[in-house]
Amino acid sequence: MTAVLEIKDLHAAVEGKEILKGVNLTIRQGEVHALMGPNGSGKSTLGYVIAGHPHYEVTQGDILFNGESILDLEPDERAKLGIFLAFQYPVAIPGVSFANFLRAAVSSVRGYRDRVREEMERTGQFKEVGSELIPMREFRKELLETMDRFNVDRSFARRYLNDGFSGGEKKRGEVLQMAMLKPKIAILDESDSGLDIDALRVVADGINKLVADGMGALLITHYQRILNYVKPDKVSVFYDGRVVLTGGPEVAHMLEEKGYGWVEEHLDELEAKEIVNS
Amino acid sequence: MTTKIMTATPISVAAVKAISDRYNEPAWLRQARLAAWETFEAIPWPTYKEETWRRTRLTGFKLENYALPEAEPEVYASREALPEHLREELAKIDSAGALVLQDGRAIYRELDEALARWGVIFTDLRSALTDHEELVRVHLGAQVSVDENKFAALHYALWLNGAFLFIPRNIAIEKPFQVLILQGERVANFHHTLLVGEENSEAVIVEDFMGSKEGMSDSVAEVFAQQAARLHYLRLQNLDETAWNFATQRISTARDALYRHLQASWGSKLSKVWIDLELEEPGGHGELLGLYFTQDRQHIDHHTNQNHRVPHCTSDLLFKGALDDHSRSVYQGLIRVWPGAQKTDAYQKNDNLILSDHARADSIPGLEIEADDVRCTHGATSAKVPEEYVFYLMARGLSRKTAVRMIVQGFFEEVLNRVPVPGVRAKLEAEIAHRVGIE
Repeated sequence: MTAVLEIKDLHAAVEGKEILKGVNLTIRQGEVHALMGPNGSGKSTLGYVIAGHPHYEVTQGDILFNGESILDLEPDERAKLGIFLAFQYPVAIPGVSFANFLRAAVSSVRGYRDRVREEMERTGQFKEVGSELIPMREFRKELLETMDRFNVDRSFARRYLNDGFSGGEKKRGEVLQMAMLKPKIAILDESDSGLDIDALRVVADGINKLVADGMGALLITHYQRILNYVKPDKVSVFYDGRVVLTGGPEVAHMLEEKGYGWVEEHLDELEAKEIVNS
Repeated sequence: MTTKIMTATPISVAAVKAISDRYNEPAWLRQARLAAWETFEAIPWPTYKEETWRRTRLTGFKLENYALPEAEPEVYASREALPEHLREELAKIDSAGALVLQDGRAIYRELDEALARWGVIFTDLRSALTDHEELVRVHLGAQVSVDENKFAALHYALWLNGAFLFIPRNIAIEKPFQVLILQGERVANFHHTLLVGEENSEAVIVEDFMGSKEGMSDSVAEVFAQQAARLHYLRLQNLDETAWNFATQRISTARDALYRHLQASWGSKLSKVWIDLELEEPGGHGELLGLYFTQDRQHIDHHTNQNHRVPHCTSDLLFKGALDDHSRSVYQGLIRVWPGAQKTDAYQKNDNLILSDHARADSIPGLEIEADDVRCTHGATSAKVPEEYVFYLMARGLSRKTAVRMIVQGFFEEVLNRVPVPGVRAKLEAEIAHRVGIE
């Protein structure tokens, strides 16, 4: 079954201030959907709200994953469904090694934890600590293979999570996590920002491989640059908390030419059309 | 009302004399005990008006609630004969020697024979007093003086036993020496630790304080790191959460000596711990590591001194604590650089992670510098678990509980990384996991 993430008339606020003002968007597995918009238009907020950030309050509308609302789910439950958010600014967590963290995350997302818990409840017997994790040997093999395939240096495994990472390393780290967790739908929040051309290629290459494997991607970006490396199936323009235009790759080129100023000038007619389209 | 154990002696001058009588102690020690009792009586009980006690109150502490144990516990001839829980505890560390004390009695002793032949002494203090009286006499009280504080005075009047480790010149022992200090209910225990590392010697010792339900522990530790000695002392305080704990510790380092200390504080209702590092000759290096994790209404107070008396010494202190529920920690630290102690390099840091709205950490780092060519840095932080960290980990599929546990464990990693004994590190990790709560 092809997973679908549907965002319907989504309104969200932070501290009483409305940021998302009726977003409509559909992302399908295997597709790349670019979401372009100026800074401050609420693109990142959309990513956070999909992932379940507690800071934002959904005031209206819904987010459906395969037809079921996910609004009541905790962030970890959403991750287990196969939703992934690649952060624009991943936090550094000192003392937590990349490998240990990723092993716990993979175990959780692939159901090792839940299976052990169910078994303990069923049999009434305790399992030893560590049995809720994917076996070390299996994990290590997969991690090393994935690092090689996605051009991530093997030293990442031993380093503390994003601690002392350069901007480019953090973005590669997000791609590595995504590759290990194998989400059905990934929201990539400005995964291209602050990258030099080599790092951008690595990140884009990673996204392409995962899309080829069947992942759906919502590519949030300010610039058209990454779209030279990751070919979008659809491009939506985001402005002031909502999608104002959706089309094919040509929309990105048009934006590059005309700029976000053009969007602002033609807001009324775009919105009228978008509503008809959606 | 507290019911006293049948075979117990209330704390009094009579008890002081009774100890000397029972063990037929030498005259110098008998006199020292009586003098200590007088000092104890002369020093008033601390009040919050003293800076040291401003944040740590002894409300509810009554000396008359505790007694000295009299019953002679069973002594074990071999590891196999020990009760299972003690065997398990000892097995956690691959040691060069082990010593188990129950209420001030050595109930089990073990030392690698080869080490004994080389002149290593590792035994309980009572036995050391009989077999090596002069060594004990020279060192006992040479670091921590009787009038240091009221609890030190009480300790010197009433100590029954302790641990004695003596490493002769040029002997280096890689495996740690392990001491378990067990206490029964409502007992007052006065454990005394003497560590002597002669020139160019090396040793690691781990002391583990356990038990003491509704009891008190009033310990003193004295460490002598002689020229170029390398000593590691790991002190794990895992007393019952109803126990009062007082500990006075002082370490002196001679020329080019290296000293590493770990104070891990999990247990007790209230702890007041002094750790003084005295860098007395050039080239000395001292590291003081601290780790604490308090819960419920626990109160843990650490007071440290890095005393640079001479030039060219380095010291490095890192105390990290997590506080949950209504618990409270106090950290007071001083780097003191004496006139002329040039080229001192001293560092002091206390970080606190607050896990509950009702927990509180007070941190008072301090510098007192009377030399001009030195590098001294100090700092303190106190923060809650950042919600952004939790969200990031949850967005990767970890439950809130697992996320918080990882963050807390990560917070302590900086200290755990520097614990030289794998068995101790594993114990500390297990304690942290236990406190954060495994799903």
